[in-house]
Amino acid sequence: MYGGDEVSAIVIDLGSHTCKAGYAGEDAPKAVFPSVVGSIDQMDVDDPDNPEKNSGSVPDLKNVGNTFDSDKSKGKHKLYVGSQALGYRRDHMKVVSPIKDGVVVDWDIVESIWDHALRECLLIDPKEHPMLLAEPSSNTQQQREKMAELMFEKYEVPALFLGKNAVLTSFASGRATSLVVDGGGGSTTIAPVHDGYVVQKAVVSSPIGGEFLTDCLMKSLESKGLTIKSRYSFKRKEIQPGIFQTVDLDFPNTTESYKLYSQRVIVSDIKECVCRAPDTPYDETAYSNIPMTPYELPDGQTIEIGADRFKIPDVLFNPSLVQAIPGMESFAETASSVRGLPQMVIESINKCDVDIRRELFSSILLAGGTTSMQQLKERLEKDLLEESPQAARVKVLASGNATERRFSVWIGGSILASLGSFQQMWFSKSEYEENGASYIQRKCP
Amino acid sequence: MEAVVVDVGSKLLKAGFAVPDQAPSMIIPTQMKRMLEDGSLTETSLFEEATVDPVVRGFIRDWDAMEDLLHHVLYTGLGWEMGNEGQILFTDPLSTPKAVREQLVQLMFETFNISGFYASEQAVLSLYAVGRISGCSVDIGHGKIDIAPVIEGAVQHIASRRFEIGGVDLTKLLAQELGKSNPLVKIDIYDVEKLKEQYACCAEDDVAYEKTKQSRQEEQHTLPDGQVITIGRERYTIGEALFQPSILGLESHGIVEQLVRSISTVSSENHRQLLENTVLCGGTASMPGFEDRFQKEASLCSSAVRPSLVKPPEYMPENLTMYSAWVGGAILAKVVFPQNQHITKADYDETGPSVVHRKCF
Repeated sequence: MYGGDEVSAIVIDLGSHTCKAGYAGEDAPKAVFPSVVGSIDQMDVDDPDNPEKNSGSVPDLKNVGNTFDSDKSKGKHKLYVGSQALGYRRDHMKVVSPIKDGVVVDWDIVESIWDHALRECLLIDPKEHPMLLAEPSSNTQQQREKMAELMFEKYEVPALFLGKNAVLTSFASGRATSLVVDGGGGSTTIAPVHDGYVVQKAVVSSPIGGEFLTDCLMKSLESKGLTIKSRYSFKRKEIQPGIFQTVDLDFPNTTESYKLYSQRVIVSDIKECVCRAPDTPYDETAYSNIPMTPYELPDGQTIEIGADRFKIPDVLFNPSLVQAIPGMESFAETASSVRGLPQMVIESINKCDVDIRRELFSSILLAGGTTSMQQLKERLEKDLLEESPQAARVKVLASGNATERRFSVWIGGSILASLGSFQQMWFSKSEYEENGASYIQRKCP
Repeated sequence: MEAVVVDVGSKLLKAGFAVPDQAPSMIIPTQMKRMLEDGSLTETSLFEEATVDPVVRGFIRDWDAMEDLLHHVLYTGLGWEMGNEGQILFTDPLSTPKAVREQLVQLMFETFNISGFYASEQAVLSLYAVGRISGCSVDIGHGKIDIAPVIEGAVQHIASRRFEIGGVDLTKLLAQELGKSNPLVKIDIYDVEKLKEQYACCAEDDVAYEKTKQSRQEEQHTLPDGQVITIGRERYTIGEALFQPSILGLESHGIVEQLVRSISTVSSENHRQLLENTVLCGGTASMPGFEDRFQKEASLCSSAVRPSLVKPPEYMPENLTMYSAWVGGAILAKVVFPQNQHITKADYDETGPSVVHRKCF
């Protein structure tokens, strides 16, 4: 049992798009940065001590024990974490994500992200603070053990707890039973929570998330002939007072992944500013005469967006719309097997016990960045009213503040970790040393 | 008795009674020299590091030294009497860890026995000094640069940025450059610091900077020990380093670019407010030509994200950029202490150091 004193716990939520970290008890995370890293392959493996400011953890040589070709040495990587480091274009820097399909595949990158959050953003020593980590609602035992191992062995935290995303969101709104619709960057997950525990058999998830919508918008804009110039690729000069000229800069050594990443940043800002969920399912003819909204790109170019404003968000409700977007045909295969948001909600509720269905219908929570889209709550409520059984009273709840929706998992963790009654539930270091990492299954259900 | 406002920087400590629209009465260097018990200075051959820096990169690191410094400031400098200590307001840099704040509160209440305490973030205070509660403050100090958007008095931590470059790195750069152009002269780092303050300036834009590299225009300067050095284009290199950090060997963007990116992270309804109320503060920002250059670079941004600087009110003293956080603190002290919103000794005794997180934000 961890009988900690006044020291505050740290809450970390590593999502597929952004990582949120901060002190428990506060109402917003202090450190928010993308959960992708820039990685440069070090071709030269002869200097092990390379004192550089921005490097993350430098893993050991991957092929220790093998004889390696001097041309193809797959040795160290230099990792750049955080929005400042990623914002600067470097030659040969690839953008790598540690999470694929909701599962962590590269633990070294996760380690460097945690290092950045704890040591560079929050400026704390992990040895002195208990950690609360948010994990996906359907996480495997292996992933949890690995997380626990990493935290206790490398960071030597005094205590740890793993909370499921859906449960934390539920706490953030003060409910013990609810249906959580988490629209995140990489995927949308619908998980019912009953009395503080996730009903595992009823968790439904779809790969359509914020990033997918950003890609759709990008392809749509490209098909209309608009090129999005990334921030690093141009420079503005003032030739005469008031008259500006944009000069293109060419950096031949920029990797494709970085180019795509920087374009995505701009397109996702466009998406957040102009996109709205339509009140009725998207119809090509009905929206063809919609007035266009202007948006100024960083290079000074102004673009007009019309029907796309409503088409892109409707992909959440009707994934087969993806086929109508030129350039996204490769996704049409996967999209056809995925259902829209209202259908997924009904599916999830139907997989639960009959007794709790009524309660779930009346407390549907929205969480995640994608759900802070305008009019999404109203549209979802309307669609659910149509599809749900007559007797059910459908109520979709979402906090009015967009920031709160984006960080609701983190906020739930902050509330949980600062509760007096929670202090006995921590998985302490001594318990880990006694029972091993598999004990986590018992301590953090 | 008026409350005392203390702004501890990496180079200068600004302290004084809370009288707004006046400069702080004490502006002293934070750096201290270690002396032996009998009062004689240590031999520099015995101790390499006879100087002590209690504040490193904006954060208090050496608490014993800090205690001595504060002792001098409060009792000798400002005339407090033992047993009759008053109220004090401190300023915090961005991203101060919770533990550091708690330690400061503990030091003040237990060692100095003050009657009231308050702490506030430097970014917010700099905005108060120019009469705003929302805006973006760019604090270019000796040890660090903080870019912090503030909305209605609350720092948006998600968008704020902190860089570990500042006046001290520019001094090192100047020393390097002077060493290259005056190879026979040995210059002490303190003299370089003075040279920097006297000669450093910013070129009008990057085209003008390139021109200075070719120019032969030089000045002669006599050092205190009699040696003569020539300073030419190095003056412009120092100012340029803030706009092109590659001169310092760092991989990051210039100040204006960082400011624009930081503001873009905040939700767009607040952009207008933040951009129109940008405040420059900090010693390094008072370099001649810096503000004009900043405006020039800012006008190159697309009009949706073009920052514009705020003019300080006329009743404020000249040189506000050097100590705007202190002045803001004085303004805040006049509001907080009379209304009893500060931490009193009773609060501290009851709850302990963690009360600072609840009462001061």
